[in-house]
Amino acid sequence: MRKFLTLSLFVMMALFMAACGNDESSGGDSSSDGDASGEWEPGQSIEIVAPAGAGGGWDTTARMAAQVFQEEGIISEDIGVVNKPGGGGAVGWAYIANQEGSNHNLFVSSSPILLVPLSGNSEYGHEDFTPIANVIADYGAFAVSKDAPWESLNELFEDMKEDPSSITVVGTSSPGSMDHIQFVRFAKAAGIDITKIKYVSAPDADGITQLLNGSADVFSTGVGEVIEQARAGNIRVLAVTSEERLDGEVLSTFPTAKEQGIDEVFINWRGFFGPPGMDQAAVDYYEAKFKELSDSEAFAEVRANYGWDEMYMGSEEYKQFLDDEKENLKSLLEELNLLGK
Amino acid sequence: MDGVMDGIISGLQVAFSLQGILFVLIGVFIGTFIGMLPGLGPISAIAIMIPITYGMDPALALVLMAGVYYGAVFGGSTSSILLNAPGISGTVATSFDGYPMAQQGKAGKALAIAAISSFAGGTISVVLLMVFAPVLSSVAISFGPPAYFALMLLGLTAIASLSEGSTLKALISAVIGFMVVTIGIDPQTGTARFTFGSANLLDGIDFLVIALGLFALAEVGFLIMNRKEKIMKNAKEIGSLKLTKQDAREMSGPIGRHSILGFIIGILPGAGATIASFISYITEKRISKKPEEFGKGSVKGLSAPEVSNNAATSGAFVPLLSLGIPGSGTTAVMLGALLVLGIQPGPLLMTDHPEVFWGVIVSMYIGNIFLLILNLPLIPYIARVLTIPRPMLISMVIMFSVIGVYSISFNTFDLYLLLAFGVIGFLMRMFAFPAPPFILAFILGGMMEQSFRQSMTISNGSFMIFFENKIALALIMLSLLSFAYPIYQNYRKKRSSANTEG
Amino acid sequence: MLRSVNQKISIILLLVAVFYLIFSYQLPSYPYIPVDADFIPKVLGWLLVILAIALFFAKDQDSEEQKAKRRIPKKDALVILGVFGMVFIYILLLEIIGFVMMTALFIYFSSWFLGYTKHVTNVIVSILFPVILYGIFNYLLQINLPSGILPL
Repeated sequence: MRKFLTLSLFVMMALFMAACGNDESSGGDSSSDGDASGEWEPGQSIEIVAPAGAGGGWDTTARMAAQVFQEEGIISEDIGVVNKPGGGGAVGWAYIANQEGSNHNLFVSSSPILLVPLSGNSEYGHEDFTPIANVIADYGAFAVSKDAPWESLNELFEDMKEDPSSITVVGTSSPGSMDHIQFVRFAKAAGIDITKIKYVSAPDADGITQLLNGSADVFSTGVGEVIEQARAGNIRVLAVTSEERLDGEVLSTFPTAKEQGIDEVFINWRGFFGPPGMDQAAVDYYEAKFKELSDSEAFAEVRANYGWDEMYMGSEEYKQFLDDEKENLKSLLEELNLLGK
Repeated sequence: MDGVMDGIISGLQVAFSLQGILFVLIGVFIGTFIGMLPGLGPISAIAIMIPITYGMDPALALVLMAGVYYGAVFGGSTSSILLNAPGISGTVATSFDGYPMAQQGKAGKALAIAAISSFAGGTISVVLLMVFAPVLSSVAISFGPPAYFALMLLGLTAIASLSEGSTLKALISAVIGFMVVTIGIDPQTGTARFTFGSANLLDGIDFLVIALGLFALAEVGFLIMNRKEKIMKNAKEIGSLKLTKQDAREMSGPIGRHSILGFIIGILPGAGATIASFISYITEKRISKKPEEFGKGSVKGLSAPEVSNNAATSGAFVPLLSLGIPGSGTTAVMLGALLVLGIQPGPLLMTDHPEVFWGVIVSMYIGNIFLLILNLPLIPYIARVLTIPRPMLISMVIMFSVIGVYSISFNTFDLYLLLAFGVIGFLMRMFAFPAPPFILAFILGGMMEQSFRQSMTISNGSFMIFFENKIALALIMLSLLSFAYPIYQNYRKKRSSANTEG
Repeated sequence: MLRSVNQKISIILLLVAVFYLIFSYQLPSYPYIPVDADFIPKVLGWLLVILAIALFFAKDQDSEEQKAKRRIPKKDALVILGVFGMVFIYILLLEIIGFVMMTALFIYFSSWFLGYTKHVTNVIVSILFPVILYGIFNYLLQINLPSGILPL
């Protein structure tokens, strides 16, 4: 067995060197800091927590950010990504909350850090942490089958007002989380009784399947999930949740809800936070580094590959944004009686 | 059609270039290796390879990925067979007969059967994929919630057939397994069920925790009792790959049947390799003339799930490549990998980029062949794990389980759960409560509940939805039949034995 | 008073079912769907109650082989308990002491405990195994196992 282990290790090493010769050079000295971008500098390796398992959106964001930070030499200290899955993020947040005052621990998060505590499933919310910077955004979309009778969001909402029990909305996550809430938000803006909406949650890729085979009528999801199906003409995107039309060959054909007269926007933002009580100097340091990351060409390429939008917000602005967003979501959940005790 | 031929040819060209062969070899090697590591299966193996393929020629990267993928699937079976410690969910059913066979000193043979079955299942299903992929896309989306409910029901009716002695005890095991899967946030309502305020339980209990606890750790208890026994006479015999003609004949049936069955189940998004392997195992046991051999090192019982889980993994590529729908965790990561390579899988992939589509298929095929070529000679060495002295082997099995769980959850809470399920599994074995029904109900129960309730929401609370859907209706009838048949059989057996006795 | 093992088990199962049912009945209701989160749990809970009662009255169908499994020599029981106890300590200290140290200690002591007496081999294996695994996971695969007190 040991023989086999060492043998495999050897082959893997060889492959690593062959495939990406520069990958192994991250160790060693870290004294090559050219520009001093603040008074504080990290004195040890930095840990970025993805409060989810490998392969998801948070994990990808964390790993890509870490990779660009290092490859572009924006941060020379080692950056390790740690997965803390569980509880839709709650396990990871509890872990970070224990690192109070640390300047070397960051984590990535998005809307669930507002929604999970609101539904009563996490002790910790965004106000317990130190917002550092938002870096990317993507948007939601509402799609129907190509055979569906609705040509616009308004037509759909008209029918929903008349007979809400005849229309099934499907999303990937449970009621009170993103896919559900984004739909509810627009339905409310259109004057629909949101307690009457018939919502089914279908984990993994089942949502699009249910739309295609006619089990469900409307699919509420991220815009990235619908592009290819819309391009093939299998589904029709009634609206995207962004402020303005998105860029891209197919993307630009999707109307916004706003241009259909429904004055509402939903952004699935994604950014980085620090533990409670992080030093202001450290916050300033990371804020500047994330700005640099967001502006870099390498990260622009990453964004393009994954279909993310650029959306940078500094610490102060971010905090304000999160507070407003949470108030907004809270009133929605209250109306749906989904607020946790 | 031109695109098809061009695609196949260019796929073959890539795969048979010197670089292509090199990359397939490396991929298979890395995949097997990662798959053998505790807790890491094809999902992690592919996720790990993504950054490495960044910037590589897409065709070569695909070949590498295919090698890694098949390697990892095979690597996962080795720990199932040798240590009773399934590293991934798709290989749990493999351990039912693989582990007993290895314990009888035929580890090399067991691994060889697994490798050949995997190869056959993979190869036949890739051919099916090539021929039918374009038409199968409609099959992939044909299952709505009522049909899924019926499919899960059909799977659960098999519980009785998974029991050794008492059917009653098998049912109790199943109910408790089903109870365990209700722990966590309920997707339909967002209600936290049986979490007792702990964030650690919100996502439910991971499959691997249950499988490693009930199988590997529980087995440790019994290994300890027999620790002084020297079962493994000599390394040569353990590693022997010799298959008799009889073995080959026994394998041929399962290979034919389950490469098709596994493939079809794999096509359905959400079903996947785990469910396929279980359903194949059960089916094989049902139709076998000697069901009593199952669970004691039956060749058929080992071959069926291995054929099936490989066939299902190819099947899962149907919705991915023809519709852009990742039907399983592994294909979801594969989708990510393709995105990084600048390939957008979707309904138009076959028309826009036939060369990619066929390139993927050809590389899967090549990966499969190389896996067999590379692994057969390695098997004697891998099998030697069992010659490690018992005390040390036991320590390593424990560590294997612990690291397996930790490397996916990074949370000691899950390790305590693992330990608890180890104790439960040990007690279950002691008091003759079979573990397979527990794990089957755990796998199928969650999906069954969700699809049942999705159906009811869609129908506004009317049960008619299950009878209006043709697939669902057919599957429900089949479940009733498969539920009633063993009872009838039992009745007949009892009557005839009563006759002879009295 | 209870005659057979099955009857004792059935009482335990009954307690499990009751415990599970109590919590099922306390689940908050969600008014917007026809089949709520508590439906399946209630069905399962009552099913277990019925099955447990059935087990209570069932004839003991265990084979001799099964009965033999139940007879664990006291000495072996203690050893099993000891090993599981060591696993418990391992888990307790894993994130504090770190993966390499704990795993090395566990393999060495557990093997020794189970009767492996070639100490030199044992020391070598119990150091190499965790170090190699740690290296593979942390440096090659970028999956971070806890480093603990070692400056890795």
